[in-house]
Amino acid sequence: MRALVIDDSRTMRRIVSSTLERIGFETIEAGHGREALDHLEAGERVDLACIDWNMPVMDGLTFVTEVRANPAWRDVTLMMVTTESEQGQIVRALAAGAHEYLIKPFTADAVRDKLDLLGLIPAEELA
Amino acid sequence: MTTTTVVHDQVHAIAQEVFAAMVDGDLGLLLPWEGELPALDDALVAWVDLFGEWSGRAVLLTATDTAQELTRALLGLPDGEPVERADLDDAFGEIANVVGGNLKALLPHPGTLGLPQIGSDLPPLEGAVRALHLPLSWRGRLFVVDVWVTTAGTTTEGAS
Amino acid sequence: MTLSAESFAYVAEIVRRRSAIQLDVGKEYLVESRLLPLARAAGQEIDEFVDALRRRQDPGEITRVVEAMTTNETSWFRDGVPYVALRETEVPRLVAARRGVGRLRVWSAACSTGQEPYSVAMTLADVLPPSMQAHILATDLSEQVLERARSGRYSQLEVNRGMPAGMLVTHMERVGTEWQVAQPVRDMVEFRAHNLLDAAPAGPFDLVLLRNVLIYFDMPTKAAILERVRRVLHPDGALMLGAAETTLGVHEGFERVSVGRTSLYRPLAVDASGAPAPAVVGPPPAAAATGVPLPRRTAAPVLPATTPTPGRVTSTLPPRGATR
Repeated sequence: MRALVIDDSRTMRRIVSSTLERIGFETIEAGHGREALDHLEAGERVDLACIDWNMPVMDGLTFVTEVRANPAWRDVTLMMVTTESEQGQIVRALAAGAHEYLIKPFTADAVRDKLDLLGLIPAEELA
Repeated sequence: MTTTTVVHDQVHAIAQEVFAAMVDGDLGLLLPWEGELPALDDALVAWVDLFGEWSGRAVLLTATDTAQELTRALLGLPDGEPVERADLDDAFGEIANVVGGNLKALLPHPGTLGLPQIGSDLPPLEGAVRALHLPLSWRGRLFVVDVWVTTAGTTTEGAS
Repeated sequence: MTLSAESFAYVAEIVRRRSAIQLDVGKEYLVESRLLPLARAAGQEIDEFVDALRRRQDPGEITRVVEAMTTNETSWFRDGVPYVALRETEVPRLVAARRGVGRLRVWSAACSTGQEPYSVAMTLADVLPPSMQAHILATDLSEQVLERARSGRYSQLEVNRGMPAGMLVTHMERVGTEWQVAQPVRDMVEFRAHNLLDAAPAGPFDLVLLRNVLIYFDMPTKAAILERVRRVLHPDGALMLGAAETTLGVHEGFERVSVGRTSLYRPLAVDASGAPAPAVVGPPPAAAATGVPLPRRTAAPVLPATTPTPGRVTSTLPPRGATR
């Protein structure tokens, strides 16, 4: 399973990546939505994208909208990972096509829980 | 003039959640600071500005070596491992970003958050008063969270 | 206020024994920060508080201290698949069977801070037709914990644990830094103090959740509790246990049924030992009719800090406005 971690903070990318790696994912990173789309457009396989909202060049909401508009990428699970935690923002993200939403700060357990909900725990992980 | 009451307990709760979740694991080590505030020789400040109907700034202040320890804790680095300046700025800035983001969610009207900034001094914010001063103890070290509120709503938008 | 080495060692020991969590030297700050509110509430200094704890050996107090020290493992929609089974199979079946009655009754028998009964309530809110009502009785030993549960307020960290985003925005509202369960969902749940060692609340219930609590009782007590549950379960109702739990070898009066990716337990008309004993509709007798002794202890069961078995959830709420 491969995850694309998209955040303009290197620290946050490392935290999310290492949490996902411990769960069994392979990870690639991008600093904003445009860079992330480049990975997809290059044909790289992505099962899960963890997406920050506020980023330069292309923000997370725009990235979600772009991905959902392209049928070739319909199997990419999209999870927002963001400080935006107002009700209205979460509704916007889900309406744009995000599958799940994780509010910062989050724990490693919370990430696991979300992946469980999405049916994305890699098979080797299941006891 | 837009005023918002920033509640001490809520900001404390935000800080505790940030540390509990991201720094210390599930159990938090953030306590109220008891006694006199020591002078910080080598202070580091991180802040994010908030824009909208309510404007202000969330500020984190601590000693540089505490910020280094914080960075090591965030990144899972072993004790004593040297921390590069770029990593320090990014990590400390991200804590400010997460605190600021959660603070923003307390406000009655949605606003936007500026990019986190780091320095050894806090630049003045025009027309701002310090609405909240929260000295905390993290692993026995001083860690301060301040919230400044501008007395007039600003129309300047930061990066969104 | 610094914790003495002895106090720390004692707390570390009871936490290790009750929860397998290891508090190594260096975690003194942790113990201090967690025990401070408890000590203050008792009007004591931390070492005084720990001394008193050690002297009295009160199981309830020890439980509270262990709970204060251990990770809050309470999550929403715990284990996922049981709630999928409820949504997709069991609730529709019960709705059809109770059309005449117009109401479903549920008992969440170790509800703790409320995530479980509210998770059931949210599922029912999504799935029940307007003609059906639901009442969820949620019980726990501790009045303190029930107070929290009644408020329906949770921190962002608590809400991040297992709550699907769609459920969050539909059934909860932001209040300050916290999230609160919406009124219509809260209205479905009644919280009441109850000791599992006592007679069960009056049934009949269509669904009983007894998840991850039996583990802390000995075998005869497990059987007695299950017997009390059996007597207040509708003959075509269901018992839900925790992911790693079973009635097999404990109580003969249940039949395990596979529903979706989980197991439910239907009551049979026999008691724990297999002797004929139909379910009793209404308050069961105070004395045991089956010969299984009812202990009169009031010791509180220690709530576990176990890691839930990860499971695959095959269905999730589809994102709004998008096809998947």
